[in-house]
Amino acid sequence: MNDEVQLTPLEEDEALAAELALGLLEGAEAQAAVDRLSTDPAFAQAVRDWQERLAGLADRLTPVMAPARARQGIRQRLGHALPPLENDPLERAPWWRRPIGALSGLLAVAAVAAFLWLPGQDAPSAPRYGAELVAQDTDLRVDARIEGREMRLALQSGPAAEGRDWEVWWIGGDGAAVSLGVMPRNGEMRMTLPEGMAPSSQVSIALSDEPEGGSPTGQATGPVVAVADLTRL
Amino acid sequence: MTPEDGLSKVARTDIKDVLPVTDARRTELEGLIARVALGDRAAFDALYDATSAKLHAICLSVLKDRPEAEETLQEVYIRIWQGAARYASNGLSPMTWLITIARNRAIDRLRARASRPVTAPEDAAAAVPSDEPSPESATIMAQERRMLHECLAQLAGPQAGAVRAVYLEGVTYADLAEREGLPINTVRSWLRRSLLRLKDCVTQ
Repeated sequence: MNDEVQLTPLEEDEALAAELALGLLEGAEAQAAVDRLSTDPAFAQAVRDWQERLAGLADRLTPVMAPARARQGIRQRLGHALPPLENDPLERAPWWRRPIGALSGLLAVAAVAAFLWLPGQDAPSAPRYGAELVAQDTDLRVDARIEGREMRLALQSGPAAEGRDWEVWWIGGDGAAVSLGVMPRNGEMRMTLPEGMAPSSQVSIALSDEPEGGSPTGQATGPVVAVADLTRL
Repeated sequence: MTPEDGLSKVARTDIKDVLPVTDARRTELEGLIARVALGDRAAFDALYDATSAKLHAICLSVLKDRPEAEETLQEVYIRIWQGAARYASNGLSPMTWLITIARNRAIDRLRARASRPVTAPEDAAAAVPSDEPSPESATIMAQERRMLHECLAQLAGPQAGAVRAVYLEGVTYADLAEREGLPINTVRSWLRRSLLRLKDCVTQ
């Protein structure tokens, strides 16, 4: 903490670039630094280098999957998934709404129906995995089932205490964890596993005891109350 | 396996990222962003699948509130959809671009909560067109990122903690000054020195 030693002009610039990348500057100083970006390419590059360097700090955060409604919200806000009556009637109908599309749609449905009805032909079955999560000292029991990329988790007994929730963690073979979200108090949790999360017997599923709504920081804060490896069914 | 094994397993996970930043992954993300720039919704879905858990974790780290983080995550992906066309010229690696958007949006919200003036000028750097990155500079930056944690460990505890808190929790100089019981200028001076030491270490 020896602030008697002055920074050299080069060091000053470098520190300023870091502060801008971090969002530590305020007021006129922030504005001056932003203005400098468009006139001083070396400074702009220094800021980008800091962004690149510091982004590595996020590597150590445990990923936390957002609930499905977040994706739905994004789609709605971007107009990618409008309820039927909100469609703009002036917008050109997409190909599948036009006659040729509807026709090929019908053909596709017919083909699928024929396929399903053909005797003696089982649809190719996706690999299935399961895990039974049981707590040692409470009656908590959660069944996990995975078929293909669809995962279902059902609370059989032992809901979390008032003001608490069970958070579900996917722990990959390399020990890397991803939060899958919070166990609903009743009923099932269903999700589609994203790319990069493949079920295997190397994977285990764990439940941790967290404040209501899930760990506020995204990192497990409470004890793990149950854990089980996936087994091929 | 006992629950205790599971706990240590969860606790150990910070060593490795779930999705390590490899060249193949970088190329894949760049491809997805390029398609998103053309309005490809399937690519946007794939990009969301590949990156949303990480970006959500960043929002949570800054905001420490699930509903707010979820709302911010939505804003982040809307911004990604709208800004993808400008990505190619900004010279950032794809994950850095995405992480920076998430962090900035979360910090905006954090500071709006504290009714502090909203300042996230970092976006501006990405908006300035760049000739970079050349393949060499991409390799150098990847190397620096690998060194980052090692170099942070070489800083004194409070300094390393401050760098992490500023980046991952949106802590300001005023917050640090309050936390350390020191004048803002003193805190600023030691944080700047810590950052310069960090840079010297990762670039050596």
